[in-house]
Amino acid sequence: MLALYRIIKFSFQDIARNIWLSVATIIILLLALFSINTLVTIRVTSDSAALAIKEKIDIALYIKAETPETEIDSLRKSINEMERVKSVTYISRDEALADFREKYKNDPEILAALKELGRNPLSPSLIIFPKNLDEAGLLINELRMIDNSIIESRDFSDNTVVLNKINNITKRINEVGLFIIAIFILTSLLVIYNTIRVTIYTHRQEIEIMRLVGASNMFIYLPYVFSALIYTLLSTLIIIAIFYPFLTLLQPYLEVFFMGYNINILAYYINNFWSIFGFQFLVILVINVLASLVAVRRYAKV
Amino acid sequence: MIAIKQASKSYGKKNKVLNNVSLTIAPSEFVSIVGQSGAGKTTLVKILIGEERVDEGQVVVGDWDITRISKREVPYLRRQIGVIFQDFKLLPKKTLAENVAFALEVSGGSAAKIKKIVPSVMKIVGLEDKQERYPNEVSGGEKQRAAIARALVHQPKILLADEPTGNLDVLNANEIIDLLLRINKFGTTVILVTHNKEVVNRLNRRVITMENGRIISDQMKGKYLL
Repeated sequence: MLALYRIIKFSFQDIARNIWLSVATIIILLLALFSINTLVTIRVTSDSAALAIKEKIDIALYIKAETPETEIDSLRKSINEMERVKSVTYISRDEALADFREKYKNDPEILAALKELGRNPLSPSLIIFPKNLDEAGLLINELRMIDNSIIESRDFSDNTVVLNKINNITKRINEVGLFIIAIFILTSLLVIYNTIRVTIYTHRQEIEIMRLVGASNMFIYLPYVFSALIYTLLSTLIIIAIFYPFLTLLQPYLEVFFMGYNINILAYYINNFWSIFGFQFLVILVINVLASLVAVRRYAKV
Repeated sequence: MIAIKQASKSYGKKNKVLNNVSLTIAPSEFVSIVGQSGAGKTTLVKILIGEERVDEGQVVVGDWDITRISKREVPYLRRQIGVIFQDFKLLPKKTLAENVAFALEVSGGSAAKIKKIVPSVMKIVGLEDKQERYPNEVSGGEKQRAAIARALVHQPKILLADEPTGNLDVLNANEIIDLLLRINKFGTTVILVTHNKEVVNRLNRRVITMENGRIISDQMKGKYLL
């Protein structure tokens, strides 16, 4: 107990009496953590954007205008039971017209043409959402094979092209993005490792003296390990304090940029708080402790 | 107290720094080990504090054969041998009192013991008024006295002084030697490693002279020969 108290005392004494070195160490850790979290933000945003765009892609079957509701409901149920289908939504003629009017409310020419027509020209439709967006192509093929006389048209060739493009783009982003993130994180971790080594290098004389006055390994190593814990804890707490306001400021810009899509990076960080910052804390702690042990070992050979 | 038998030490194949050295030092002796740079004095000190090990021969300190001392045992050896160096080796971010207390703290000394011993050793070395100063706030002589105080906290039977006056002017050097003599009077064996001719000649005590890793002279009331 006395030994632990002294180890903690030596550590805090060292941090306080080398305050500028301690501040510099924490700033470097903060910069590295900020870079890592910025990459996480970019990655999550791009993934969410791709997913949101995919989810916007629906597959529609247009039904003949005068088809009775019971027949449409029967078709809806049979499609809903298909393995690759997540849900089917029925849009009636009236709903389709209301949506159309809402969509073109700022276009008087289209609305005037609709009025001149004097009747609802739109067909009812079934909007089909696939369970797995990557298998949307297979689902489209299955839908093509449905033989039902109430189906007026099933034009979803454009969707297949868009889906393929999005899948290709997200695949590329994942491949290149992961590589860049890996390089960047590795660089950040190396910077952290070397920062701690340099910090301990400045203490090499002290380590040597500790050894010479008969300090045991525990007293030589543990204060630096404890300091590494303090540096990690402080930098993680500060990055949390910095990053949440940063995300709060960023979120409205993301909402404007991805208008109509549900992308909420702030919510992602709140929902995944422990996995994001807990993991970062543990990784940085392991690196700091490892760097401390390696560096102290080097100077404690006296 | 100390018995070295036919000890040899080499760095590499050609650089033999200790060559078949044998000597014994009795309890309460004051011994000066002299010699020019490269004579093997510092290697001898390093062997006595467990920093180096001999390639051949045997080294015994008290009842402890430290010839093949393990790294784990070294801290315990160093708590039994007080050591002071030319460059004082004080922790710059600790006060003089904290530097002295540190040697006790890292060896598990109780708070009560530290509170009792630190002021008393600071008084012995004449630094009772400067306990709260940092090393950069005191003179070289005072730094060395603080280092001696630190070396004394474990009440060692042996005090090893490796060129303790090397960085000091004549006045401060004499004060340090007088302090070492006083410590020796209390019964502590003092081994003074130096190449300061005036100091050695003034002492008129046992002088071991080394050259090229060998002992070339061992006089009970000797002078600086080289």
